[in-house]
Amino acid sequence: MAQLGSTTGVKTPERVAVVAAGVVSPLGFGLAETLNSLRKANDCVTAVTRFSVAECRCKTAGQVPDDRLLAGPNKKRRAKRLHRASHMMIHALREAVMQVPQFEPELTIIGTTSGGMSHGEQYYRSLCRSGNLRHAPTWIANYPAQKPVIDAQEEVLGFSVQCQVIANACASGTNAIGHAFECVRSGRYQCVLTGGYDALSELVFTGFDSLQASTPEKCRPFDRHRTGMVLGEGAAVLALENLELARKRGAPVLAEIVGYGISTDNFHITQPDPSGVGPRQAMERALQSAQISADEVDYINAHGTATIFNDAAEGKAISQLFNGVPVSSTKSMMGHSLGAAGAVEAVISLLALRDQFLPPNINFEALDDSLDLNVVANESRSAVVRTAISNSFGFGGTNASILIRRVEA
Amino acid sequence: MSLAIAGMGWVTPLGNGVDAVWERLLRGDEASATPISEQFADRSYSAFRVPESAVTGLAHPRLRRASVISRFAATAGLDALQAAGVKVNSQNAGRIALIFAISNGGVIYTKRFYRDVVETGAQSASPLLFPETVFNAPASHLAAILGVTGTTYTVVGDGAVGLLAIKMAEDVMMDKSLDYCLVVGTEEVDWLLCDAYWRWRLLRSMPPIEPFGKQKRGMIVSEGAGAIVLAREGPITIERAHSGGCYAKRAEAEEILKRILRDLSQVEIDFVISSANGTFIDQAEQGALEQVIPDAVTYAAKPALGESVGASGLWQVILGAQALRHGELPPVLHADPAISLRLARSRMAVTGARRAIILSSGVNQQVAGLRLALH
Repeated sequence: MAQLGSTTGVKTPERVAVVAAGVVSPLGFGLAETLNSLRKANDCVTAVTRFSVAECRCKTAGQVPDDRLLAGPNKKRRAKRLHRASHMMIHALREAVMQVPQFEPELTIIGTTSGGMSHGEQYYRSLCRSGNLRHAPTWIANYPAQKPVIDAQEEVLGFSVQCQVIANACASGTNAIGHAFECVRSGRYQCVLTGGYDALSELVFTGFDSLQASTPEKCRPFDRHRTGMVLGEGAAVLALENLELARKRGAPVLAEIVGYGISTDNFHITQPDPSGVGPRQAMERALQSAQISADEVDYINAHGTATIFNDAAEGKAISQLFNGVPVSSTKSMMGHSLGAAGAVEAVISLLALRDQFLPPNINFEALDDSLDLNVVANESRSAVVRTAISNSFGFGGTNASILIRRVEA
Repeated sequence: MSLAIAGMGWVTPLGNGVDAVWERLLRGDEASATPISEQFADRSYSAFRVPESAVTGLAHPRLRRASVISRFAATAGLDALQAAGVKVNSQNAGRIALIFAISNGGVIYTKRFYRDVVETGAQSASPLLFPETVFNAPASHLAAILGVTGTTYTVVGDGAVGLLAIKMAEDVMMDKSLDYCLVVGTEEVDWLLCDAYWRWRLLRSMPPIEPFGKQKRGMIVSEGAGAIVLAREGPITIERAHSGGCYAKRAEAEEILKRILRDLSQVEIDFVISSANGTFIDQAEQGALEQVIPDAVTYAAKPALGESVGASGLWQVILGAQALRHGELPPVLHADPAISLRLARSRMAVTGARRAIILSSGVNQQVAGLRLALH
């Protein structure tokens, strides 16, 4: 579908619409509940109940309640064997597909960091304790990272197209959306499902705790007194389609993805370059990709983990590029859902564009003295939001940003 | 769009060096199985391990604490770049993309990290090990070694993931500002991995791997890495990368494979590099091959090299490229004479071969294929 310009012979990139979205996270099940939590600035971080955190510094996380997650309409025997991550993906995909029932994806691109890790944990614990390994084949079969994606497609669509599962640490979700955007923009694909998922696991929780990246206190992104992150979980799915085709067939257009930037800073496997060069390059490249200036951005959904190093590097990069644009990290409300984060935050940005408001950065008391940011402190507020940028950065120095724009009818 | 293979590198249980391992395969060599045991378990398994000599001489601060999976990847990736004549520097680092294919990832450090949590509690969990458990750790190490500053992706999947990464590379290379894409598949072996596959009834305790065997006795897992440098032009191209599909039930794999083969065999195919590994997927591949291109010569390397999952697709592509380049195929080891496929049962000339299909059928629902061409 990419067209040749009539005089230049250069391909004109296709425009990429978001025609549907679905989400499940500690903020709620679906777009409506998520919007409600964002509007009310709900703190959805609670005491961890899934495993013992007695020996960890951090005791809290954003959690998706099992009583709702597993109580879906699917009573098939197979559904009981699925990993929680599969159930999250099913909820998110079902919500998206209900908005565009005729959507036929050619490809699915999903981000995650740890697949069905908790099944791996169950298997290992049983091995160590010479326990009951009767369920081991089920745990093992449901452990791989592509499984929740295939499960969701089978369950909701009744078939499964090929899936590319991107595991770029905490940037995975934004990388997946960004790559899906590039696939449609290039004209190679018309319809692509994208998003991200991750379910809380003991191994990952303990890992961040061992790095002292997670906090025993509240998550306070960009705050002078921030002490670290809390983890979260969730899933979000976006249906991307060639904008022209979507309009022709009368599909709803929630927003347009207009730019994507990716960068790799090679400073350290767990820490960003303190100069902020990685995040800055990702945002600059997203702006270049969209061919817009920083002045046109109305809202920044920051990676904002509330770790000392991330917020310093990201905050520096934001203040170098943007002049007083409102910034919030919605991780303050729901924790860091890792591979899901970029996708959930893309959905949050969509809601900000659709409903013309700025999602809040809660638990905020005072801005870090070294930062120059316009933080949306503690309460959501109404605003004109035409273009939003959503950031995700991860271990290994991987950085990604996407630009989403409101589409006027 | 077709991309060319400008350089290749691999680390295998038969050593490293593309031509050196190729010569061993042509001679009919098979990797030696090494027993793997675990302190808390009585059962031991066999695996094809990479000899230490294959990854020596690679010293970089980023690899000091890294697991072998990252060393395999770095060795194969650097060899492929060298073979392609690509020197990465600050001028061209932004024009090179890096895509990794991984299935099980850093299982050795993941187990060590979680073992400490289980046995002695969360307070003894090592902050040095945890970052190496992340899927993209090998990619980040190689990116740091090379100084790559742009696109870096790690794709996770089953045995088809190598071909999925190549398909993704095609998509990424639609960006004309990129000159090269280095695609690396890598995997490491641990007892835990063997035990998981055994409980899943996919592993046999001792070699050999019997490809296309009716008994489906199972596979032997192996480790290593394969890497290819994709460029805009060159004599051997990825003429078509098929997106493949996912099967919900095992019986559906054959139908997807038939669809892939029909699409890829619109032109004359000289041979097929199969992913037969002694499990149920062999029957699916055999059925599809017999029905769609029954006359094509088929080669399967896993009896010699083992099932390296994340690395295996890249190995298959390298094997296909080598066979096109040299006009011959190594012998398929341990194949029952009664198998009706046209197997390369001994070292076989394929002189003048122009096109080959690579099939990758994973054991966890993913299937992919691509077609190589020699110009």
